[in-house]
Amino acid sequence: MAVTEIRIGGLGGQGVILCGMILGKAASIYDKGHSVMIQSFGPEARGSSCSAQLMLSDRPIGYPYVRDLDVLVVMSNDAFHKFLPGLKKDGILLYEDELVHFAPGEMPARAWGIPATRFAEELGRKMVMNIVMVGFFAGVTGMVSRTAAEEAVRDSVPRGTEPLNLQAFAKGFEHGRQLIEKVG
Amino acid sequence: MDQVKLPTTCNIKNGADVIVREMVLADEQAILEFFRALPLEDRHFLRNDVTDAVRVHNFMIDDTHDRVLAVVAELDGRIVASAEIDRNHYGSMTHIGQLRVIIAREIQHQGLGTILSRILMNAGIAAGIEKVLAETSTEHKVAMLGLEKMGFKLEATLKRHVKDLSGRKHDLAVYSYDVSHIWDKMEALVSDYSPIRGY
Repeated sequence: MAVTEIRIGGLGGQGVILCGMILGKAASIYDKGHSVMIQSFGPEARGSSCSAQLMLSDRPIGYPYVRDLDVLVVMSNDAFHKFLPGLKKDGILLYEDELVHFAPGEMPARAWGIPATRFAEELGRKMVMNIVMVGFFAGVTGMVSRTAAEEAVRDSVPRGTEPLNLQAFAKGFEHGRQLIEKVG
Repeated sequence: MDQVKLPTTCNIKNGADVIVREMVLADEQAILEFFRALPLEDRHFLRNDVTDAVRVHNFMIDDTHDRVLAVVAELDGRIVASAEIDRNHYGSMTHIGQLRVIIAREIQHQGLGTILSRILMNAGIAAGIEKVLAETSTEHKVAMLGLEKMGFKLEATLKRHVKDLSGRKHDLAVYSYDVSHIWDKMEALVSDYSPIRGY
């Protein structure tokens, strides 16, 4: 498999980096592939723009920076507008349905939305919205297996929070699968 | 704390195996019988008249909105305990869980209360609850000791707060167990501010 280039963008406090970290772990440690991640965040604790560059491959990765995105995951409007130009024409956009707004014609052909924040709130904690996005990524793209992603979630979140985080993952995964199945 | 998959079989102090499972609608009659078999002095401290079939029906069907999890314990096919954890879904106390455990006299002091409480607390944590409350009369020393052993802290004692059957007033102990530190760690992980701790 060629290298898959992914960028995850959002705001500080949304768990953007953890989202990238979990997907990288899932691909490399649990799916036995390779991954590289670079994170960048602003100086503020909350609200600043934040992104993770993630590369997945079945071979060692020599260059860690993304250039042409195969997948763009965005959790804020700013991230959508900032990173959309970097998405390949046939690339996949995964976006937070209720936080990302776009003009008609602005959305790429392969775009999938999820109300991740609302789902997380319904589960009892807004802060697991990034894990909903991890599940959504796995459900839509299939680039990491469900088992690997679940193991990576379990391994990455604090002890005691695993059940809710795994519920959040399942919510995102199933929503993603439903969208894909609808399209056929 | 790991979440226990239900149903589960638990061995209690007297050697008996008790099955703990989620309460289901089909339990209505068995629950009513369990409540009716409780001694009056035990029932007296409950919020409602649980010998009333209509009240129990409401408990099973209508009062479930705030319920995180309700379980029953069975011994030889008979319900011997009922327990639940509730939370408000609106307002300033959505992060608070209220723990309620009722155990048949014949099986009290066998560790079943602790088993049920742990199962419910884990379910509460999984649902995002940050603090669990439990109340007991200060006359129930074993219940107080059990809560303290599990890590609950006595948060308040409401003096002469509850009346027993004879009209005598007793103190009510309010215990709490704060699990918010678990979610503090999660909050630090999603902060996107400093490099992730632990990596």
